[in-house]
Amino acid sequence: MFFQQIVNGLTLGSIYALLALGYTMVYGILLMINFAHSEIFMVGAYCGFWILSILPVLNNYSGFILILVFLATLIISGILAMFIEKIAYKPLRRAPRLSPLISAIGVSIFLQNLIMLSVSFQSLPYPERFEIKQFQTTGIVINSLQIFIFCFAITLMILLHIFIRRTKLGKAMQATSQNHIVSQLMGINVNGIISLTFFIGGGLGGIAGILNGMYYGSIKYNMGFLPGIKAFTAAVLGGIGNIKGAMVGGFILGILEAFSAGYISSENKDVITFLVLIIVLILKPGGLFGEQVTEKI
Amino acid sequence: MVEQKKILDINSVTKCFGGLEAISNVDMNIYENEVVGLIGPNGAGKSTLFNIITGIYKPDKGEIFFKNKNINYFLPHQIIAEGIARTFQNIRLFSNMTVLENVMVGRHSRTNAELIEALLRTDGFRQEEKEIQYSAKNILDFVGLLKFGNELAKNLSYGDQRRLEIARALATEPLLLLLDEPTAGMNPKESSDIMELIKTIRAKEISIIIIEHQMDVVMNISDKIVVLDYGKKISEGNPSEIQKDPKVIEAYLGTD
Amino acid sequence: MKFISNKIFLFSLAILLIIIFPIIFLRLNPYTVNIVALIGIYLILCLGLNITIGYTGLLDLGFMAFYAVGAYIAAILSTKGISFWITLPICMLAGGLMRYLLGLPLLKLRGDYLAIVTLAFGEIVRLVANNSVSITNGPKGLPRVGEKIMPIHIFSFVFQDNIHFYYLIFFFVIVSIIISYRIEHSRIGRALIAIREDEVAAELSGIGVARIKSVAFVLSGIFGSLAGAIYVHWIGFVSPEMFTFWESVFLVAMIVIGGMGNIFGVILGVFLLVGMPEILRSSLGTVFIDYRMLIFGMLMILIIIFRPQGLIPSKRRALELHTIEKD
Repeated sequence: MFFQQIVNGLTLGSIYALLALGYTMVYGILLMINFAHSEIFMVGAYCGFWILSILPVLNNYSGFILILVFLATLIISGILAMFIEKIAYKPLRRAPRLSPLISAIGVSIFLQNLIMLSVSFQSLPYPERFEIKQFQTTGIVINSLQIFIFCFAITLMILLHIFIRRTKLGKAMQATSQNHIVSQLMGINVNGIISLTFFIGGGLGGIAGILNGMYYGSIKYNMGFLPGIKAFTAAVLGGIGNIKGAMVGGFILGILEAFSAGYISSENKDVITFLVLIIVLILKPGGLFGEQVTEKI
Repeated sequence: MVEQKKILDINSVTKCFGGLEAISNVDMNIYENEVVGLIGPNGAGKSTLFNIITGIYKPDKGEIFFKNKNINYFLPHQIIAEGIARTFQNIRLFSNMTVLENVMVGRHSRTNAELIEALLRTDGFRQEEKEIQYSAKNILDFVGLLKFGNELAKNLSYGDQRRLEIARALATEPLLLLLDEPTAGMNPKESSDIMELIKTIRAKEISIIIIEHQMDVVMNISDKIVVLDYGKKISEGNPSEIQKDPKVIEAYLGTD
Repeated sequence: MKFISNKIFLFSLAILLIIIFPIIFLRLNPYTVNIVALIGIYLILCLGLNITIGYTGLLDLGFMAFYAVGAYIAAILSTKGISFWITLPICMLAGGLMRYLLGLPLLKLRGDYLAIVTLAFGEIVRLVANNSVSITNGPKGLPRVGEKIMPIHIFSFVFQDNIHFYYLIFFFVIVSIIISYRIEHSRIGRALIAIREDEVAAELSGIGVARIKSVAFVLSGIFGSLAGAIYVHWIGFVSPEMFTFWESVFLVAMIVIGGMGNIFGVILGVFLLVGMPEILRSSLGTVFIDYRMLIFGMLMILIIIFRPQGLIPSKRRALELHTIEKD
């Protein structure tokens, strides 16, 4: 049971970690909670759904289809996230801090209802294009989808890490999240970096949406809400603004949820997550890896 | 010579942020009826000292006594109630409230109508509201802003906003007023107007500590000057002594 | 002086209209009374939430949790035979106490974190209500089969029809408006608005910010549980789906769109977002209702960017036209 939950937890955690990255990156660079990020997740899932529904089943080319689906969704989700930033958040950069949050809530409502009204309010089954194999060892059941999700997520995270640390753009992102004004003086196009941040965060979120759809086998217009809150909790747990923290936080939360479902009850597993969120924000808002930022008075 | 009463006693106060000592072992005494200039290069810790005095930060070492009471652990609003008020380096007004309302808020610690009295509109409540309006208008008149009473605070000119902040601080009936760069960003005419205002405040027997960078302003108005550098007090004395002090000159200009 | 007596006159006129309204409409279209009574419930809720969001500037995304507390406690007590007039103060007390306890750790948090934590708390309440089958009957809601919510009665008069509840609800709406007005124009109200504008400056102007925030927080909670208790006696039913996060957001939307911190604005917001879709139902069918959240989402974005003070301009602008003289 214990190791089974670890397996489940790592799979869930992969999805949460990918989603959490979007929250933490945006917070790091703009100090705002992108409440609509959960809807990018949802739109990504629907994107994948449409692409997979259109393409006929081609066993020989399944690898190609996979790449296509994820790449296309990455781009579409990323562009959507960028678009939202330009329209709904950028005008509020100088406004009081709650204003972008309220705007984000408005975007979230809008997107959810848009999908609900234009597609369906019912849940749609996710197309099964790939054969899922099951493995069994020492009483633990793992399937190939779980392995795929985990490995894929880890790969993406490693790529992101390399990008942030080693490339010029990545360093520009780090600089901008420290200080906009100084970064501009250094010749960094701050608006461009902000757009890039939303693109990457949104793209990863959209991919997380597909993985979520594949894992649970269905999608619905409101599928983003709970995973969004959980991923945000993960980001806060790891230290909001801290990319490594978001990754670690995602896995911790995934495992926590798996254990709560396994050992307590599946109805109450969400209560546990919300309690974790409240406790972390009250006791240690800086999270595991975050810094305490004090306001200059 | 008449024995002047000490109202503020800062006793070996130290405050650290992370590994840095922002304020290091500072001693300072403020007496009744005195204007003290607090000067020093940028980053010397002057505003931090104001934050410590008004209870935003707690001293890591040392004590602060106000009217012989230890106020180390007092909350800021309690310190205001005791009689210390301040203005801010970057003006902090209640932008979407009117000029009059800003000053009326300053009366909060001198009044006490609670929620119940407000809901029931008791006589005590009504009486107090009248008093609040009356005294607020008087203060606005004193600083010369009465005609803007119904204007939103954010619509005032920069100089008038600083005046309003001072008016709001005066509404708390302070014994000691801390002014944080009151003439920042002002032209010479505006600066001298503010200085005149400060003199009239001083005439009301309110002690003042003023952080300033404009040397002529601060030398003109202060009885005594305290100089901070890197969180330490490096000199104290009357204006002419300070101007000649080599340590002060070095702090501002550096050594060759 | 003239300005004040104008207000009293307008207010009395409004009360007269409120009293006459259902008598006229009952003959034309009884369903309208139902809608307006529902608007009344939302008015009580939003006026309460306005104290937290509008006056104090604290974004509360889980307000429906206290509505739930009021509704469930009223339902449980009522099915045991306890009179409405006793359960009402109990619900209000429970709501207020819970807000007080919640506020102790929460009100120290920064604005956006507070918003998320209230969201989390609201969800916890909903999930607990959904899962504690023994107390709340879980998803099926209360009352259980075979039980009944006691009708409200004053002496021998029993509240049965919608119109009776209309008057009861609007009695409390009037009380809510008076309370909001009296808070806004008082020392406490100014302190709250100062906190909203600049918490640090407020504290350094002598306002005990922590305590005053708590007062506002508790008071608004009482409005919430009051509304819940009345609603459950009116509709006769409560279940966890009635207070999802989106219901809480709906309240926030009404306040933001109508005008934060502005009694008229809040009233307008409620009429617009609750009333309009229903009124248009007769002409446009249910189209508007389905699309309403979509439109409200967009409205929220547009308002907060282009007109953050809400649709109704601040009455303070009107004051600007009067110059004041020394007394």
